[in-house]
Amino acid sequence: MTTLSEGPPASLLAAATVTIGGEDALLQVRSTVRAYARHAGLDLTATTKVVTAGSELTRNILRHSTAGQGAASIEEVVSGPRTGVRAVFTDRGPGIADLDQAMRNGFSTAGSLGLGLPGSRRLVDEFSIDSAPGLGTRVVICQWNR
Amino acid sequence: MRMGPDLLVTLQGDLDDLTVESIERQVTSEIARTGAHGALIDVSSLDVVDSFVARVLARLVRMVRLLGADAAIVGIRPAVAITLVELGVSMADVTTALNAEQGMTRLRRLRAGTSAGIRHDDPQ
Amino acid sequence: MADDAVAVVEDPDSRYRQIMDAITDYAVIGLDAASAVRSWHAGAEQLTQYPAEEITGRSVAVFYPAEDAARGLPETDLRAGAAAGRHETTGWLVRRDGTQFWASVVFTAVRDRAGKVNGYVMTARDLTRWREQELTLRSVEQMVDSIADFEVFRFGPDGRVRSWNQGAQRLTGYTPDEVIGQHVSMFYTEEDVRAGLLEREMTAAARDGSLEGEGWRLRKDGTRFWANVVLSPIRDDQGELTGYVKVARDLTERREQDRLVRQQRDEILELSTPVIQVWDRVLILPLIGTLDSGRAARLTESLLHRIAADQAEVVILDISGVPSIDTGVAQHLLETVAAARLMGTVSILSGVRPDTAQSIVHLGIELGSLRSRTSLKDALQLALGLVEARSGAGNGAGARA
Repeated sequence: MTTLSEGPPASLLAAATVTIGGEDALLQVRSTVRAYARHAGLDLTATTKVVTAGSELTRNILRHSTAGQGAASIEEVVSGPRTGVRAVFTDRGPGIADLDQAMRNGFSTAGSLGLGLPGSRRLVDEFSIDSAPGLGTRVVICQWNR
Repeated sequence: MRMGPDLLVTLQGDLDDLTVESIERQVTSEIARTGAHGALIDVSSLDVVDSFVARVLARLVRMVRLLGADAAIVGIRPAVAITLVELGVSMADVTTALNAEQGMTRLRRLRAGTSAGIRHDDPQ
Repeated sequence: MADDAVAVVEDPDSRYRQIMDAITDYAVIGLDAASAVRSWHAGAEQLTQYPAEEITGRSVAVFYPAEDAARGLPETDLRAGAAAGRHETTGWLVRRDGTQFWASVVFTAVRDRAGKVNGYVMTARDLTRWREQELTLRSVEQMVDSIADFEVFRFGPDGRVRSWNQGAQRLTGYTPDEVIGQHVSMFYTEEDVRAGLLEREMTAAARDGSLEGEGWRLRKDGTRFWANVVLSPIRDDQGELTGYVKVARDLTERREQDRLVRQQRDEILELSTPVIQVWDRVLILPLIGTLDSGRAARLTESLLHRIAADQAEVVILDISGVPSIDTGVAQHLLETVAAARLMGTVSILSGVRPDTAQSIVHLGIELGSLRSRTSLKDALQLALGLVEARSGAGNGAGARA
């Protein structure tokens, strides 16, 4: 069964895109995700968690892919009675060769503690990742109001 | 900035690698110069503490301790505390407090306790 | 039927008997004049689950549901069989395990040479599957039409509306005459029509077998409603697409209602688990009832906010009202304690009963440095001691409320 979410109601925010090229992207991603989360009616904890996840994923892109090759697309989503915020992080970086290992705690490249990916997954309601060497990475996170 | 015998370090805004490096330099040189017994790292203005920031904090604490001083992280917000626990960042061996004043008191007790032979790994 | 016919049926070596045993989807049951079971075979056992030794000699009433037996239906059926020679009926029969099945039953009277009834042959066939199909066929249209909360209608591959139900009328305000034969795009907003939404929905539904989505739809009076829509393709025996069925409902009202319900629920939860400030800088959180992750998350949040608001240094988590500690509850507790510690607060577990202590150790739950006490009084004493010690010498912070 396909699910097609078409045209949000007039009261939902339209999608916003943030280019992840430099450190300033962090603030932009965080404040955009926060604004959307608030608008969707997420409480403080849920908001903080999804903003933190967004921050983690943005840092990941900044660290691992060459400049200007990443973007975050943030939108408000609806499913039945619930509203939420969905963010898609894409980069045209080197891609991850071993996704399983990357998603396991403690994996690290380039000297980072590597809490980024597995950590972000724990913080959000929905998390999906697609990556392949040479093809870049795409992470989709979604957080719903309770 | 001094708070009694302790150094107050306030982290705010966006922390990028350059800013962090600069803070580390400032903190270590200040402690060495003034002989401060403790450093209070105030994060009360941070509404997001991701694993990068958590690492920055851990490194600052290590540096402070290597210089013979104690460190306390103060002002972690409720939502941030919940997020950190979920991220698996426990910071179990670091003194924490609600604010700088409480932090100062804790560090003082820690010092008094240490001198009285109480173990260092029970900061609370 | 003659006497010897019945005798033939009972003769185990006869060919007739062999044939009977081979028939397994009919039950052919021989009854005597008193309507007790006289002959039995594999098919009867398969249908009713009774083995021959158990059922022989028992009244035919045993196959009837209790209510029917009570009102004399077996006798009625047999009398009809005797009167007409053959009586066919359909009804519920009961198996040995008590389950019922819908059966087609024929009673044939067996007469002796003098014409007196000396028994019956009862044949029974399980009709359950047939009955279900028939019911479905007969009542689908009725059911669809009676659904008033859902809009259900069919339209062809050309997009023209072919059927319209009560719910669709209620939802949109259009009567069947106004829509049948019209194009489905009349219910879509201009933007959606221009964007080709309908075509995309139809393609996706045809491709994937079903499509669920949400979007704006238009009513007769021009107003919009936010609908949850399920679109399914209709195919004929060859698999050719002959049309679509759309089921939709108005979500607008429900979202408002759900939001209100959630709000109320949160408020009730707040009231039922108050954080109590029992002393300067000491908070008690009495945990009552079960702790699922949703509830645990909300409790942790309110506790931490109170810690910040009241500048609490010690929090007592009282678990005497929690029926049982399992690893899940322990996990939530430890997470709350860890989060409180990050804010500088020490936690004490109180209300630990002997069986709780046993469970915790047996489950291998590590409480680490978390202090625990059996009674709230002991926990309070410890808490006050900690606060005093923490306020430190010379700070003058020993102010008590």
